[in-house]
Amino acid sequence: MSITRRDFIKTQAALAAATAAGTTLSGASIAKAASHDDDIRWDKGVCRFCGTGCGVLVGTKQGRVVATQGDPDAPVNKGLNCIKGYFLSKIMYGQDRITKPLLRKTNGVYDKEGDFEEVSWDEAFDVMAQKWKEALKKKGPTSVGMFGSGQWTIWEGYAASKFMKAGMRSNNIDPNARHCMASAVGAFMRAFGIDEPMGCYDDLEHADAFVLWGANMAEMHPILWSRLTDTRLTKPGCEVHVLSTFEHRCFELADNGMIFTPQTDLAIANYIANYIIQNKAYNQDFIDKHVNFNATTTDIGYGLRPEHPLQKAAKNPNKGKFNKISFDEYAAMVSEYTLEKASEMSGVPADKLEKLAKVYADPNKKVTSYWTMGFNQHTRGVWVNGLLYNIHLLMGKISEPGNSPFSLTGQPSACGTAREVGTFAHRLPADLVVMNEKHRDFAEKTWNLPKGTIPPKPGYHAVLQNRMLKDGKLNAYWVQCNNNMQAAPNMNEEGYPGYRNPENFIAVSDPYPTVTAMAADLILPTAMWMEKEGAYGNAERRTQFWRQQVDAPGEAKSDMWQVIEFSKRFKIEEVWPEELLALKPEHRGKTMYEVLFKNGHTDQFPVQDITDNAGNVYNNSESKDFGFYVQKGLFEEYREFQLNGPKKGHEMAPFDAYHNARGLRWPVLDGQETLWRFREGYDKHVEAGKDVQFYGKPDGRAAIIFAPYEPAAESPDDEYNLWLSTGRVLEHWHSGSMTRRVPELYRAYPDAKIYMHPEDAKARGLKRGQEVKVQTRRGEVTTRVETRGRNKPPRGLVFMPWFDAGQLVNKLTLDATDPLSKETDYKKCACRVVRA
Amino acid sequence: MSITGLVIHAVPKNTASVQAAIEALDGAEVHKVTDDGRLVVTVDNLDDGKAAQVFDSFRTIAGVLSTSLVYTHFEEEEHGEGEHVS
Repeated sequence: MSITRRDFIKTQAALAAATAAGTTLSGASIAKAASHDDDIRWDKGVCRFCGTGCGVLVGTKQGRVVATQGDPDAPVNKGLNCIKGYFLSKIMYGQDRITKPLLRKTNGVYDKEGDFEEVSWDEAFDVMAQKWKEALKKKGPTSVGMFGSGQWTIWEGYAASKFMKAGMRSNNIDPNARHCMASAVGAFMRAFGIDEPMGCYDDLEHADAFVLWGANMAEMHPILWSRLTDTRLTKPGCEVHVLSTFEHRCFELADNGMIFTPQTDLAIANYIANYIIQNKAYNQDFIDKHVNFNATTTDIGYGLRPEHPLQKAAKNPNKGKFNKISFDEYAAMVSEYTLEKASEMSGVPADKLEKLAKVYADPNKKVTSYWTMGFNQHTRGVWVNGLLYNIHLLMGKISEPGNSPFSLTGQPSACGTAREVGTFAHRLPADLVVMNEKHRDFAEKTWNLPKGTIPPKPGYHAVLQNRMLKDGKLNAYWVQCNNNMQAAPNMNEEGYPGYRNPENFIAVSDPYPTVTAMAADLILPTAMWMEKEGAYGNAERRTQFWRQQVDAPGEAKSDMWQVIEFSKRFKIEEVWPEELLALKPEHRGKTMYEVLFKNGHTDQFPVQDITDNAGNVYNNSESKDFGFYVQKGLFEEYREFQLNGPKKGHEMAPFDAYHNARGLRWPVLDGQETLWRFREGYDKHVEAGKDVQFYGKPDGRAAIIFAPYEPAAESPDDEYNLWLSTGRVLEHWHSGSMTRRVPELYRAYPDAKIYMHPEDAKARGLKRGQEVKVQTRRGEVTTRVETRGRNKPPRGLVFMPWFDAGQLVNKLTLDATDPLSKETDYKKCACRVVRA
Repeated sequence: MSITGLVIHAVPKNTASVQAAIEALDGAEVHKVTDDGRLVVTVDNLDDGKAAQVFDSFRTIAGVLSTSLVYTHFEEEEHGEGEHVS
């Protein structure tokens, strides 16, 4: 008997689906399909998109990825995929992949006003190195910079950070995660002294109630949403509460859906704390043993340029200091936020707010809270993250199964790379910071650098980089693995003038000709996803590796290769001053490559055959080129920061363990991962008998930090009479540079549109589908009106996604940031909508 | 050739009508229905770029709670139909 190839594949598809559903199939064709291995090579991988970190099996045939499936052995997604993950195998095969370096030229030489021409890697790096050296000579290390990514693999971020902070001696390196997670990081550090969630995805099955604060999980984290849905439908009494500034798909499952006026989440969170205190529902024992009370400095401005009127009006611009207060003082501060006041400010009916407060206050209900960009992209993002920790800490509902304040992430390695490796302007690996001398000393010792190599002052953060490019203070700039010209706020007034400033040289590494790449002077063709050996860290502290499945097309090279290769172009004397070299004379005459990478330490692991358990052999392009196992060398060196550094709690397993495991959640101690941190019995760092220990803080106590409501940077007025909120849609990921190149996803959601209340449309004489102009004080965009569909804004607010390169929403957005985290508020500015 | 395996979670008492609605769709096949309301489904799509829309349309079937994609296979047609694997 024979079956056709089509039937055979269909049977495999059915088998995979049955496994994911927890059932089995029977029949002769099944046995046949299951026993036949076909000619596809399968290996484990990680999804390229969001921060969920789903495991996927990647099927390769004749050097090309032809199939993917949800990995049934992956604990995160248990065999499931979302629609984007489903089409993963197509993201590398867009028609317009860049396969050669492209440099702007006129008459055969570099010209900023010239057109892109193909050049060799040698010519590309010659011109680029010359520009970097010119900048260094003229203005020093603060004139060079790099903008990286929460999509960098762990070693890409590590190599880039070392290259900038140690090699170039510049802290001007920041990731696009600044736009997405910085407020979460700020709040973790303030409250717990150590970054990232204490809980994990297992909370999805343990909780009795879920509260979404500014997270549209149904569209942005669909796999976690499907796990949450399962729990809601199968666990008696389980409730789902959803807070948002507009109605979205999560409201379909909500037991208590709440639409609030933008910015009033600050008041709602304080009301809940007040409710808990007024009803004496707080956990006295937990409070006595494990927390202290504080109040933060207020009136801190909006992270705008210093000359902006709002910035001048602030009494304490950018001040993050918080001071100890008593429980009674704290109680008095939140007492202002009564039910009546919170309801009036937020527009949420009082009974709904009270229902929410009761869930948190019920000692017998396990509550998991989720948030993403609604909290983080907020001019009081650090504050509002903290206000939610206050609620969980008052109740002691933290660090145990089902009781979990959980900050979700948007990028596949915002945690693993941007945060853990420390590719922010103020950070070093494993939670260390450049401002701390002991931390710098440790990094310099580990990297065999003279004392004083790493500058103590934080570099330019994401938004500041664009301002400094425009002002001509940052002149040689490298963008990797992101599309910031489409993402960064206020593109007309800051981003674009910065890139096109004649004083500046901008290099962009990308697989595709994105808006950012097209605004650059040099485009470097980049290997992506399965074209390199990689590692990501997801939102639940899970570190996951994959092997290189295919080779990159043409001359495309990974970001890591580019950074390491570029470092060969610098003699260390060209970058470091004589007094520094005098402290480590053995570095004299070496290239930066020899100091940072080919140094007898980072290159200690020889090239080896990369194989899986079935004996398949995989390529490793970088190791082949540099002559040592680059990924392993960088990762093991990074582990020295975790194991020997001044801060405990970030320990990972040895490199080889991850090529076998379906990821491990750090801290990994004695080969065991940690599911819930800070709680005895789950976390080995907690001293015996302590029960709970927030060991990121010297006194082991978490900080409850009061912060009041303060208004948004820009609110609707007579001239610009609508709130504008921006965000994503299910089908597209971020700026759409990958998903818009998948025909099916493009077709499912081809162009952006603006979601508007039907009455608001009617009041402006607009009909569904009509072309309109959306205008703010900074620019305008043409789009079409949508009055139905998945998002239903209340009157007075419009929502527009940002994935569409043809409709650049960031011409509209305001570059106001949280003054503490420096993260932009993409959810609130004032706009008007008129006929086109 | 584009073949998909997916799991559709339905309200258990509605699985019969959900199954009928799915099977009415071109290329869709239900392989198994579990007691707790999960349907094991494959979709054999034409390469017309509409797959994402077909999946989204499952959401609109009355009684469907969630749709999860599991397996996908894309292949150029020339190596496809008619090739025997044994």
